[in-house]
Amino acid sequence: MGTTESSLVDTVRARPGLLLVAVLGGLLLVDLLAKLAGVSVGPIGGALSVDRFRSNLWSGLVIGLVIGLAGIGLSLTYSILSFANFSHGDLVSTGAFTGWGVAFLIAGFGDVPVRTLLSVRDAGSASPGDIGAHILTTPGAILVGLVAAFVVTAAVALALDRAFYKPMRDRDGISILIASIGAALIVRYLLQFVYGSDRRGITASVDASNLVFGPLGISIDAHELTIVVAALGLMLAMHFMLQRTKLGTAMRAMADNKDLALITGIPAERVVTATWIIGGGLAGASGYLYVLLRGTIQFDFGWLLLLLIFAAVILGGIGSVYGAIAGGLVIGVVFTTSTIWIPSDFNQAAAFAVMILMLLLRPEGLFGGVSTA
Amino acid sequence: MSDDETAATGTDPTEPDDAESAEPDPTAAPSDGEPTATSAGTAHTVDDDAILRLRDVDAGYGDLQILSDVDLDVANGEYVTVVGPNGAGKSTVMKTVFGLTTHMGGTVEFQGEQIQGLPPEQIIREGIGFVPQTDNVFPGLSVRENLEMGAYILDSVPEDQIEAIYDRFPILRERSDQKAGTLSGGQRQMVAMGRALMLDPDLLLLDEPSAGLAPDLVSDMFDRIDRINESGTAILMVEQNAKEALRRCDRGYVLVNGENRYTDAGDVLLADDDVRQDFLGG
Repeated sequence: MGTTESSLVDTVRARPGLLLVAVLGGLLLVDLLAKLAGVSVGPIGGALSVDRFRSNLWSGLVIGLVIGLAGIGLSLTYSILSFANFSHGDLVSTGAFTGWGVAFLIAGFGDVPVRTLLSVRDAGSASPGDIGAHILTTPGAILVGLVAAFVVTAAVALALDRAFYKPMRDRDGISILIASIGAALIVRYLLQFVYGSDRRGITASVDASNLVFGPLGISIDAHELTIVVAALGLMLAMHFMLQRTKLGTAMRAMADNKDLALITGIPAERVVTATWIIGGGLAGASGYLYVLLRGTIQFDFGWLLLLLIFAAVILGGIGSVYGAIAGGLVIGVVFTTSTIWIPSDFNQAAAFAVMILMLLLRPEGLFGGVSTA
Repeated sequence: MSDDETAATGTDPTEPDDAESAEPDPTAAPSDGEPTATSAGTAHTVDDDAILRLRDVDAGYGDLQILSDVDLDVANGEYVTVVGPNGAGKSTVMKTVFGLTTHMGGTVEFQGEQIQGLPPEQIIREGIGFVPQTDNVFPGLSVRENLEMGAYILDSVPEDQIEAIYDRFPILRERSDQKAGTLSGGQRQMVAMGRALMLDPDLLLLDEPSAGLAPDLVSDMFDRIDRINESGTAILMVEQNAKEALRRCDRGYVLVNGENRYTDAGDVLLADDDVRQDFLGG
């Protein structure tokens, strides 16, 4: 008994931040419970419907999966190529535009000029919403678009590697990081040049788009369900690839120890190529899914999203693929549930505050020290 | 007569067959009962069946030259160890054979083919395995995955070879699914050796295998190396633990300041007063 108490005191003394976070977390939890119960005592409590809380959690989970999916590629390039890739966010945008171009082409072929469809643009009477891309009305187009987003973005990532990163392979991480900022600018403004800079709506609104799950008492948007299924499927595929295939094992080996990989005879360039295909492809797919969730697209949305993706990856322990997924979920849930306490304009700030707090307690990140595996 | 002069002239006052040592006898097996002491600069026991042959090798890192005019032979199935003081370039010899240094001159022949300047992934294919001194396992991979990576260049996983390695190191079979990073130092060393043996190399390069091992594990480690050698794999080993290494090996080289100073059968070097005084601490 005495030893437990003294060790608790020691812990608090060694890490006062822990106490602070525990007290803060406890207060928020009490407040949340009071709100859900409809009790109001002074500043604590208030009114919060269980439905709203549940929908906050759910949409946090959905957006968290998208961020986590995008984070996988960032973590992979960090652990295997040893640099923080600032062009990752624009790969997310690339996937969104190219993927939706293909989805529109399939959904609206014949009704609207191909050029308009491919460039995901309003043209005369046909606004993107009129093309009617929706998982319930044009499921084939949406799925083919997802595949296209993956494939085209993987190709773009590979092209960027050959053009910029490969000649710099032996340079230090900071030099390559700065090169990646340049690559990010190139991609972003090429996207603006090709697709224009206006924000526009993408998905059609369809009646009865909400699927109600009676027993659970929740109604889920069909697009949200699509996102969850697609993101989980891609994550599982990636997990299988990393753990069960020879190439995936080689990727983990190279993330573990590049010098040893070299003298073991693992072909470094083939592993790097695979890293870009998988990391870039998943970034593209996540961008496509993000637009499916938000319903709108803009040429620089990936760049703006990159901050949250970085937060997720750092929170999870940079370099860890599973950490990126976990970090994405935490960031996503904080992002949406923070609106219970603060205006939604500040929910990004809340996500970063949680990241900083977590790092104070666990500087190596959630999955830190556990390399890619 | 000072030690330096002894080394330079190649005259060894303790060695009775001094005259013969100037003309090495190619038929003399390295572990012969009465080996002849030879010194660098004059002669080597040149075996015609040497699988590895370094001649006048200069090598280093970038602009920094570490090795100069190194000659070194390893015969088929021979167990050769390189000893010498810290900073003598022992590990550099090993890395040079494996293509990890900047080649600056001379030739490295393996099984009659010149391999200097080849990248490591090609040298593996020639039949050389390398166990680095530190960081020689993939910590996040399981024991089995570490072994599988050793055979990456093959199209399929050689199950029989994995079994052979498990038979050689039974503890690894038990730990097959455990992450290599969680193993003890001795077990990691086994994983590292197993990985390097996956392609059944003709020559195994070992860089200070006893480094970082608890003292009571060191002799087990040397026993394992003996057994690998007995199964026909030639070994070129660099060791800090010079006495034990020389006792075990067929032949030793003493490397000083990037040049080889002596070579002879291990026990002869051990008995040699100059070698003892200069490098083995008396």
